[in-house]
This record gives sequence, C-alpha cells and structure tokens, in this order.
Amino acid sequence: MRKQTFSGILGVLAALVIGGVVLALQKFNPFSTYGALLQYSLLSASGLSAMLSRAVPLVLTGLSASIAFGSGLNNLGQPGQLVIGALGATVVGLFVPLPAVALIPVCIAAAMVGGMLWSGLAAGLRRAFAMDEFIVTLMLNFIADYFALWAITYPLFDPAALSPMTRPIRTYAWLSEVGGINASVLYMVVATVLCWLLMSKGVSGYEWRIMGQNRLFARIGGCRVDAHYVRVMLVTGALAGLAGGLMVMGGPHRFVKGLGANYAWDGVMIAVVANNSIPGTFFYGLLFSMLQQGAIGMELVTAVPSEFIDVLQAIIVLVVVAGRVSLNLMFDRIATRKKLRESLQ
Amino acid sequence: MSVFYGLYSAMLVGATPILLAAIGGAFTYYAGIFNIAMEGMMLVGAFCAVLGSFFLHSWILGIVCSIAGALVMAGIFVLFAVRLHTDEFLTGIALNLFAVGLTTFLLRDIFHVKGAFTDPRIVAIPAVTVPFLGQIPVVGRLVSGYNAIIYVALAVTVVAAYVIFRTSFGLRLRAAGYNAACLNSSGVQTPAIRVWSLMLCAICCGLAGAYLSLGSVRLFAENMSAGRGWISLAAVILVSGNPWGVGIISLLFGFFDGLTVFLQGSAIPTQFTAMIPYVATLVSLYFYSVRKRKA
Repeated sequence: MRKQTFSGILGVLAALVIGGVVLALQKFNPFSTYGALLQYSLLSASGLSAMLSRAVPLVLTGLSASIAFGSGLNNLGQPGQLVIGALGATVVGLFVPLPAVALIPVCIAAAMVGGMLWSGLAAGLRRAFAMDEFIVTLMLNFIADYFALWAITYPLFDPAALSPMTRPIRTYAWLSEVGGINASVLYMVVATVLCWLLMSKGVSGYEWRIMGQNRLFARIGGCRVDAHYVRVMLVTGALAGLAGGLMVMGGPHRFVKGLGANYAWDGVMIAVVANNSIPGTFFYGLLFSMLQQGAIGMELVTAVPSEFIDVLQAIIVLVVVAGRVSLNLMFDRIATRKKLRESLQ
Repeated sequence: MSVFYGLYSAMLVGATPILLAAIGGAFTYYAGIFNIAMEGMMLVGAFCAVLGSFFLHSWILGIVCSIAGALVMAGIFVLFAVRLHTDEFLTGIALNLFAVGLTTFLLRDIFHVKGAFTDPRIVAIPAVTVPFLGQIPVVGRLVSGYNAIIYVALAVTVVAAYVIFRTSFGLRLRAAGYNAACLNSSGVQTPAIRVWSLMLCAICCGLAGAYLSLGSVRLFAENMSAGRGWISLAAVILVSGNPWGVGIISLLFGFFDGLTVFLQGSAIPTQFTAMIPYVATLVSLYFYSVRKRKA
C-alpha cells in the first residue's frame, strides 16, 4: 500500500515534469501554466466547487471500472451504462409526479437500474451464449450512445431547444447546493465509502478480489463464480448509471446531446492508474477532475489550449503504470539484497 | 443496378480501414500480443496523413507521415509493454487515450481549429483506373476507379496471408504466440519477433488512418476513427487472426457500414441505422461464441 502511494506520487510528479518539458518545447511557460491550473481548481472557491462536481462522474465510473477489473471482469461499458442511467433518471424526473422527498431517491434508483440494465444485458449474453463481455460492453457503448441520441431527438425532444435535448426535469428532482457544493458530491462520497467497505471488509468483496486474482482458485475454493460474475456486472453497471443520473440531476437538469461524451474513457483510465484500489480511484478521480477543471482557467490565462490536459492525463497514466512495475521490481531487488546480507552475517 | 453499384462501393469504402487495421491486428494476434491500440494508431495515422499532405503538398508524403506517426505509437507500445513489462491491455488503453488527447491538442495547436480541419490544400489520395479490366462494361465498374488504398489493402491481405503461413518469419511469428518458451529455446528472441509484429501492425494502421483522412474525404475530425479499431479487434478475435477470414468479415462490416449510409433519408431514424455495424459485431460474436461452445 505504501509502495503504491509512493510510486503513484513519484509517477504523477514525473508526468508533470514531462508535461512541463512538452510545454516548454511549445514555448509556453510551464510554471505559470501549472499555476493557472491550480488557481482555477483548488485555490478558488468557485473552482473548487466546480471541480468537486466534475469529480462525481469521474470517481463513480472509476469505481465501476476498479471493481470490475479487480474482480477479473473486462467491463468496458461505463460510457454506455452512464448514458442509459442518465436517460433513466431523466425519464423519471420528467414524467413521475412525486414530491421532492420521494422523487430524488426514485430518480437515483432509476439511474442505477438503467446502468444495471445495460451491464446486465452484457452479463446475460455472457451467461447464455458465452459471449465475451469485453467486446459486448464496448459495442453496447456505441449502441447506447445512438439510442440516447434518438431518444432526445424524437420522443423526448424539447421543441424550444435548438439542438437535441430533453425538457428540464421537474425541479423536485434537482440536487441542491449545500454550502456551495452540489449535493451530488455527497452521494459520490457515500458511494465511495460503501464500495470501500464492500471490497475490503465484506465477504463478497473478498471473494471478488480472489476471483480477480485467480478465477480457477476462487472456484475451487468454493466461490460461486458465475453468480458473482453477474453480481459484479450489476454493481458496476449501477455505479456507472448512478454517475449518469447524478450528472443530470446536479448539472444541466436535462439530458443534453453529448452528455458523458467527455467522460467516456476517464473511468477506465482512473481505475488503471489506481491499480483498482478504491481509495486510489477516489484520489485519482479528484486529481483528474482538478486537471480538467483547471484546464478551463488555464486556457483563459495562458495561451495553452485546454486539450493539453488530455495529453497530460495520458502521460500520467503511462508513467504511473509503467513506473509502478519498474519500481516494484526495484523494491523487490533492494529487499532481496537486504535479506541476503542479513542471512550472510 | 445503380443501387447495387452504390452499395458495392459503399461496402468497399467501409471495409477498407477495418480490413487494414484488422490485418495489422492479425500480426500481433499471432505474435501473442493482446494489442488493442489499433484505434489509437489509426487515429494518429489519420492526423499525420493530413499533416503531411497539407504541409508537403503530396499524398504520398501524407501516407509516409501517417505510417511514421503510427510507428511512433508502436514504439511507445514497445517501450512500455515489451521493455518495461507493463500490462498490454493497460498500455493499449493508455495509448488510445493518448492518441485522442494528442490529436485534439495538435489540431488546436497547429491548425487552430476545434472539431475538424479541412482545407483545399490537403491533397487527397487519388482513385486508380485499372488498365484493360476497367474497359470491360460490368466488370470494369466493379474493379476499377476506386481509391488507391483499396487496392493496397487487397495486396496487404494477400501479402499478410503469404508472410504468416508461408515464410520462416511467419512461422516464428506464430510460434511467438503459440509457445514463446519453445521459440526462445530454439534461439529466436521472442521480444524481437513481437517488436516486428507491432511495427507491421503500425504500418497497416497507418495506411488505414491515411485512408480515413485522405481517402474518401479530405479532412481530419476529432476522434474520427470512431470505434473502427475496436471493430477490427473484434474481427481479428472472431476469425482467430486468419487474414482471409479477416478479409471476409471486414467486407461484411463494410456492407453493413455501407447500408448505414444507404439508409440515410429513409423512414428509419439515422440513429438506428448508425447502430447497424455495432449490432452486426454483436451478432457475429454470437455465432462465433455458440459455435465455439459446441466445439
């Protein structure tokens, strides 16, 4: 654990240095660029609040990918599950007449059910026909995208709008701001804590992790891997769906064209850098949302295009992941040498 | 009859990038690399093709740049997955993300546009008229007058099948995936074979990218590979890498892709017709899985 934290911090710093070199080569000042990045995310109240809201879909899809990968499942369907979840919350928010106390939980449930439906479809295809979820979830992403686009262009289209989007959901379903911070952030934190409890304290979390490390061993040890497989798919789908629902309820309050497009692969990316650890996913989610939020300000103050952040994120992923492997090798070598010396004395 | 020709040429247009990328994927598949970076290589290739064609005023140099760009991506893959022993799947995901980020960043940085860049100064890859065969009434329209890359793709398929099954390099390539330890013990460096397979994959993906941006259109749009790399990966897995199988399945996808274009303007909403290639992938995966289960 400590090794992971150490190599993670080292990796991020190394990636920032590489990013700085890239900036310097383009004749931008790296220090003022990184300064602006911080200024518009962590160091200002409005930036911090926006950054936390932005972290909601990142962390939740990251948790979804972390749990799936950690359990040995290739669920790459977070983008699709997010979109269907967002659609579920939107439909309930538009048409179900309930008071605020009931509508918000129902909307959230609808979002999670939407995500579960989409990941459950992939799980069902795997169980019934042995279709690999890796390709199925990928293809379902594209199908979900087009389906949602159809839904907001025809049946749910807002006639007053110029581009495809739905009408705003009922105000009862809006998530309010608490002390300048959107309530969706609270749900994200709760979800993270629950996931952490599930994965590191619960029996099923333990069995899932064993399944991720060695499926055969888990089966022989008495885990019902097939049942667990479906459960993991449903839980991870629900998390991604929740991300979509919270985006609609906390943000634009309607399903806008392209919702979730910017977050498409971020969940997978965050799970990858965090090495499927739940706290790691949370912190990298915050880091990436900080970068993405700061990018907007960075573009305003310096001439650096905000797309630079996409490059920086990919550099962080590569350097942290590669660094972890090499550092682990190095640590092992040092430990071996130490042991050897001790045993020789 | 014009309906038939329209569908036929739409099929070729749709099939070509998938075929090229999938042949590239076949090389790495046989070498035992779980390579999912085709999407990224294709995207970088497409961008570099426009870059080369625009600044050097030549489509040939555009293709050269495109292959060079894809090779750089392959180099990064080699550095991380082969040298530093990072997980291939993670490297592939990171590379794909890197490709999207890099191309949007450079699009903004070099051409100062967002979304898409098009310019009359971009030189497109020309269509080729086949001598003699092109003169024959019906056959002529079927074999002649298509984009040069389409013929290259055909040639690449044949060459790939020959190299993989008939040469000593192909034998080593297959051995690298089948039993790397055995190959090592017979004195061949498996990592070297894997590096070669990645280079070949990059060349194919570079060609696919050049076709995307300089073939039927003359523009680069953000994320213009639009999942084709993933479909080609599915194609490779479905036929276990066999180049002839890849060819057939790419034509099938090309057909459905062409159908998409063809059904635009009909009563069916375009959002549903656009789903067709992805649904087709799922359907073919269904047949593959059911067959494999019975075996």
